[in-house]
Amino acid sequence: MTTTPPRSSAAPVLRLSLLYGAALFAAIAVVGSVVGALVSELPGLLSALIGAGMGFVFLAVTAASILLADRITKGDLLSPVFFALVLGAWLLKFVVFLVLVFTLREASFVDPVVLFVTLVIAVLGGLVTDLVAVSRGRVPYVSDITLPGSS
Amino acid sequence: MDANTVLAEITGNIATVGYGLAAIGPAIGVGIVVGKTIESVARQPELQGRLTVLMYIGIAFTEALAFIGIATYFIFV
Repeated sequence: MTTTPPRSSAAPVLRLSLLYGAALFAAIAVVGSVVGALVSELPGLLSALIGAGMGFVFLAVTAASILLADRITKGDLLSPVFFALVLGAWLLKFVVFLVLVFTLREASFVDPVVLFVTLVIAVLGGLVTDLVAVSRGRVPYVSDITLPGSS
Repeated sequence: MDANTVLAEITGNIATVGYGLAAIGPAIGVGIVVGKTIESVARQPELQGRLTVLMYIGIAFTEALAFIGIATYFIFV
């Protein structure tokens, strides 16, 4: 009998989503930094990089927290620890995001408009990559269940 | 009472209220998404894999609005 730990069948889709998100982040960082540099030189370049990074990190935290919670709870979605991790990460992410937004607005090395536009593009692009990952991922209808006596 | 009497005064930027609203909406949305996922998995545990993916995409869409709403601080102030 194999003793592999039970993992959710959703994990490959979430990993795929993280991978696509990272690829999109790289593309937005390159294109955004060039456009940002043309718009407002060094502050524009930095703003585009920060905006793309924030968009990727804050969207990736959701998938990463579900993967981590899945690993810690051994695939038990109804465990309180699962939602403590997922929703705790969500809450923490928004606190950090608020602090970053209010801090960066006053920073001299940032062009707020470039940062905003890059962030919006990164967030919307992240949604598209999430959708592509979910639509391409194969999750069986019936999974993650152990019959009595089979464990 | 004089028509021009000021009973209460609020100082500050009204956009701040918008950031609060940008946080409330997605918080309710994520609560509904997560609550319904728990309900569904309790009813049909064998669908857990698919429901986790749907929960993920639901949370991602809901929180995107909050990010854009809060990030408007960069351009509106």
